[in-house]
Amino acid sequence: MKKLVKKRGELLIGNVIFIILNLIFLTILVVFIIKQGSGAVSLEQSYSKQIALIVDSAKPGMKIEVDMQQARNSNKEWYDSNYFDTVVFTDNLVTVKLSEESGYSYSFFNDVKVSYDIYPEGKLLMVVSEK
Amino acid sequence: MILNMRAKKGTDMMLSMYWFFILFLVTAAVVYMVGLFYGHPYDVRELEADILANSVVDCIIRNGELNSNIISGGIFNENFDSVFLEVCNFNFDSEDSFQGEIQYYGKVDIYSGIGVQNPDFEMKFGNLNIASACVIDSGKDFEALAKCSKKRVYATSSGEQYFVEVTTAVKKGEKNVNV
Repeated sequence: MKKLVKKRGELLIGNVIFIILNLIFLTILVVFIIKQGSGAVSLEQSYSKQIALIVDSAKPGMKIEVDMQQARNSNKEWYDSNYFDTVVFTDNLVTVKLSEESGYSYSFFNDVKVSYDIYPEGKLLMVVSEK
Repeated sequence: MILNMRAKKGTDMMLSMYWFFILFLVTAAVVYMVGLFYGHPYDVRELEADILANSVVDCIIRNGELNSNIISGGIFNENFDSVFLEVCNFNFDSEDSFQGEIQYYGKVDIYSGIGVQNPDFEMKFGNLNIASACVIDSGKDFEALAKCSKKRVYATSSGEQYFVEVTTAVKKGEKNVNV
């Protein structure tokens, strides 16, 4: 009788450990996928293209607000101390930089002047005007 | 009884080895798929070509009327292409151009009616070498070529009705596809 209870206990512990290990494995996989999607390099590309397309379709006089919360969350420490340098407009090129060693540029064809301000809470405000 | 126990241990070992193999397969598949998905740049050329076409239409047609820079008194201005970029506020030169090559192309055809074969006015702008991309069938082999967009609208001028066709193309292959 004692032997049977012991065997049943071992069986239960074995199953629990097996399930826990599986859950850990799945968690690692999910974290890996999320990390890849919200990585600085991938976000830089997506933000610079988004901003370039917004500027292309903008008309002079427009005031545009872009939510950059995701950019802030991807590298909070770096963003908080360098937020004013994360988006830079030079002529008709927009560059987004979310870490020290990376950066992505994309050009736009709309020949307008873009005045902009970036806020520490993760917000980009652009005002489009004629050159 | 001993034989049974040995058989069970053997099966357990086989099961755990099989399980590790499955885990390895799943990990490899996920890593491969993530690499495949995030390894490709976002292709926004089609959207960009669409926006360019809309901007061209907005510029040459205002309130349904053809821009007076193109047509005046029923006569088309054949020199409009020389002032087009300035009038429409376009700048096709950029620092990220591949070897200084212009990455945009566009064509405006204005017909005096539907079914007319030859346009009354034709204007091309940007990099004319990209134009061929709009007539080649799309497919994986031609992915690095430009993406095109076409808009067809009606406009009037001095009471006359015109049919306007705008074709635009954006190359920017190195920024939008893995070349």
